[in-house]
Amino acid sequence: MATIERPVQRPVSVPKAVTEPTGWLSWFSTVDHKKIGIMYLVSAFIFFVIGGIEALLMRLQLATPNGTLLSPDAYNQLMTMHGTTMVFLAVMPLNVGLGNYLVPLMIGARDMAFPRLNALSIWLFILGGLMLYSSFALGGAPNAGWFAYAPLTETAYSPTHGMDYWILGLTLTGVASIAGAVNFIVTILNMRAPGMRLNRMPLFVWAQMVTSFIIIFAFPSLTVAQVFLLFDRNFGTRFFLADQGGDPMLWLHLFWFFGHPEVYILVLPVFGMISEILPTFSRKPIFGYAFIAYSTVAIGFLGFLVWAHHMFGTGLGPMVNAFFSGASMLIAIPTGVKIFNWIGTLYGGSLQLKTAMYFALGFISMFVIGGISGITLASPPVDLQQTDTYYVVAHFHYVLFGGAIFGIFAGAFYWFPKMSGRYLNETMGKIQFWLLLISFNVTFGPMHELGTQGMPRRIYTYQPGMGWDFWNLVETVASFGIAIAVALFMWNVVVSLRSGQRAPADPWDGSTLEWATASPPPVYNFAKIPRVHSRRPLWDSKYPEMEVSHSQGTRPMKRKEVAALDTGDQDQALFDPSTIHLPAPTFGPLWVSLGICVVFYGILYLVDSNYLSVIAVVAGLGLFAFGVTSWLRSADRDSAGAH
Amino acid sequence: MPSRRPLRRALLTSGLLIAGAFILAACSADRPMSTLDVQGSHARNILDLLIPIFWAAVAVFVVVEGILLYTIFRFRSRNADTIPTQFHGNTTIEILWTIAPALIVLVIAVLTFRTQAINSRTSEDALRIVAVGQQWWFSFDYPEQGVTTANELYIPVGREVTVQLDARDVIHNFWIPKLAGKTYMIPGNTNYLTFNAETEGVYRGQCAEFCGQAHALMKFRVIAVQPEVFDQWVAAHKTIPAAPVAAAYTGTPPGKDTGYQWVPVMPAFPATVNGQTFSGDGTGGNAENGLAVYNGKGLCYTCHAIAGNEKAVGKVGPNLTYTGSRTMIAAGLIPNTTANMYAWLHAPGTIKPGNIMSTVIVPGLLTDQEIKDLTAYMESQTHDIPLPAER
Repeated sequence: MATIERPVQRPVSVPKAVTEPTGWLSWFSTVDHKKIGIMYLVSAFIFFVIGGIEALLMRLQLATPNGTLLSPDAYNQLMTMHGTTMVFLAVMPLNVGLGNYLVPLMIGARDMAFPRLNALSIWLFILGGLMLYSSFALGGAPNAGWFAYAPLTETAYSPTHGMDYWILGLTLTGVASIAGAVNFIVTILNMRAPGMRLNRMPLFVWAQMVTSFIIIFAFPSLTVAQVFLLFDRNFGTRFFLADQGGDPMLWLHLFWFFGHPEVYILVLPVFGMISEILPTFSRKPIFGYAFIAYSTVAIGFLGFLVWAHHMFGTGLGPMVNAFFSGASMLIAIPTGVKIFNWIGTLYGGSLQLKTAMYFALGFISMFVIGGISGITLASPPVDLQQTDTYYVVAHFHYVLFGGAIFGIFAGAFYWFPKMSGRYLNETMGKIQFWLLLISFNVTFGPMHELGTQGMPRRIYTYQPGMGWDFWNLVETVASFGIAIAVALFMWNVVVSLRSGQRAPADPWDGSTLEWATASPPPVYNFAKIPRVHSRRPLWDSKYPEMEVSHSQGTRPMKRKEVAALDTGDQDQALFDPSTIHLPAPTFGPLWVSLGICVVFYGILYLVDSNYLSVIAVVAGLGLFAFGVTSWLRSADRDSAGAH
Repeated sequence: MPSRRPLRRALLTSGLLIAGAFILAACSADRPMSTLDVQGSHARNILDLLIPIFWAAVAVFVVVEGILLYTIFRFRSRNADTIPTQFHGNTTIEILWTIAPALIVLVIAVLTFRTQAINSRTSEDALRIVAVGQQWWFSFDYPEQGVTTANELYIPVGREVTVQLDARDVIHNFWIPKLAGKTYMIPGNTNYLTFNAETEGVYRGQCAEFCGQAHALMKFRVIAVQPEVFDQWVAAHKTIPAAPVAAAYTGTPPGKDTGYQWVPVMPAFPATVNGQTFSGDGTGGNAENGLAVYNGKGLCYTCHAIAGNEKAVGKVGPNLTYTGSRTMIAAGLIPNTTANMYAWLHAPGTIKPGNIMSTVIVPGLLTDQEIKDLTAYMESQTHDIPLPAER
């Protein structure tokens, strides 16, 4: 098709904001999904940096054979906390944060379905993370690995309270995740703008919805395992003690029944982000929308049928291994086809190589490597050589760093203008991208080779003469490149927030609804809820006369309905934003989560027969009750004020 | 576009170089844990499966990344105002590219299931061995031969070996990269692993599942010898070691130590603890007195059994019969030299942090002379079975 002259962008209605308290206290009482999203992003990023520092310390220890920087126990604590932090406190909440901010905007809603529950989630998450990290100061961090295999995690082999902190801290964040998932599902199913059918939803919203269902089905398995372990450690049960009638295999199954779906919890939202970013910067619709949406659902289901591929060496037998191997290979098909769909989106497009696009393309190329290296791990015989070696470390860092983190950086560059009203600096962004791409590959690429040469995972030291020295040193040097790239991003955020170029409402010529409101959006998101007529409501309002063909070869179809993005401009003069009903800020959720946290600290020390712990439990329950009443009062006020 | 040819050539060359390095690395003898330098049936079947998967993976990698790079270069735009054709799907292509990966995966699955079937077979006349993992060492029992040993597993070349894998405390993982893939040792669950060694040699093994503080230091060796040598070894092991003598012990024959530093921290000598001086020199001990320390002040007998020593029946620690003929001490950690034995008996907690012995044997518990005597007792129990080369 010939080049079309771009029409003057329609002014998007942005009435004056209603007054809101702006002091620092407002962050503690807010129920606004955008503020909560930013709190998620900032706190998760802080945890990401902490987890990264832990990784750097481990890399320093492993730079040379017989490293003595860290004691064995210190290394094991860092190893455990790095894994736990990156999975539960960094990547997951980064995704949740973006989802929290964007899902209501993308579906044309004013907030999440349960704004106060949303506030509860963020506080439980933050307090859970802080509780976990307080273990460093209170007798030693957990040191038995993020997978926490019993019976190593039983009191006999992990006598410090570290594992109790791991159990209870993660239980707090787990409750936050489940509450958040319920919130997402209800929001997405019930609060879409008129006309936004399920098959018109942005793919990021699809991804968040499927992810939320996975969370609801996977997290209880982890929580059950953790409660069993808590009782084993503190109250005399024997769930995982083989010599007393328990079975360590129970932990393995419960943990991985959660653990594998968790991988999809980490990457599906990122798939969603990529599916938003690629079309925008290709200036084309996504290729195979239906396939991407439905394969996300398929991956969600199949993700629950592959957990035992983490256990091929545990003696489940050839039949069981064959089933889980087949299921794992099956899941490669929808995942692979998604990649083809993304390339199809690029193909024939007009690629705008902005930093966000750089990271999205980096995501595809790195995720392909992570996917390919996973094939051998899905094959039980080969897995027996590669599992528990650095090959696995390489594989999942290509999936979770080369995949998830690159995708999240893409999302950060893409949506930062929406959140802040300013662009991130493109030059710094591109330097960061190349530095990150190179140092990431030099750090994690050689790990494939190290694993093949037999270097086991989770070792605090190794001896010379194994053929491992060279690559370990190279990896350590390169890991500091990653650190510099992340620091550059932080600098970019700080500078751009203060003096970045101002961004308009629709800086990238986007097609989804979040670009239809101001940057940053007003507290009520949309002055009037838009009416949706297609998958690309904003695009179609900007280019109403454009034709959409099904494919290059087939007959072009004239769109039946050419409608402007219906934001109610006609009534603009009559519109008063103060009439929009929004839930009032409340400290209730904060008190409730603080109460639960205090109760958990009490439970943690009950086994020491410490009367202080009983006081903590009682005081925590009191705080909890106070929080609930304050929550209910605020809810009552709101429903009284609703109209 | 000729200007981009050098880039493509550079990519191709570096790709080939990486693949070449990957394969060359396989043949090197100074990579004792390599999974590519296979010397046993189980590992060989795995490698035979890995190679076709590897080339399929390389092909997929080149095709997908190639198309991606081509698309990026071909369709990148410098003009923000162009709008391309707005197509959003093509059913034929989508069906084709769903079938293609499905076919690749199907082939891999068939190959996988075949190898899996072969590797899970076991034969009736395989040599039976019971291996038990514990923090942080391995015990090996030969129930048919009536031999118990630790950390060094003798097997006959060419004969199938079925190892029964158990764990006493936490989960461990039994792995000899050049001979066989990993199998977990799980308390309360028994697993079996059948493999053989095709060439004689001393092979490295290591616990591969995180099992606590000294997980990195939990190693073992497999010593594959000719069947007749294996029989000699069994016969030697069933003979009660000769009674310790009073003659001054002169030390390990030279040539055992490779000069590597084997663990991050070794105790420094000469050391002074509570006013006593420790020389670090293990020679000059009296094996007869060493036996008295073993069965007395050192409390060694409570944990470590030795054939012929009636008081020593403990099973908490490794069986120490013929310790002098082991290649390594402390579960594959340090070469079995006189100086290393002295260092181990002086400060086991320094060499292997967290081990149970270090809670009993703290530096200063035994005097310099007692350690020398104990060293003499340990090192003088030898048999003369020849060792094959390290692989």
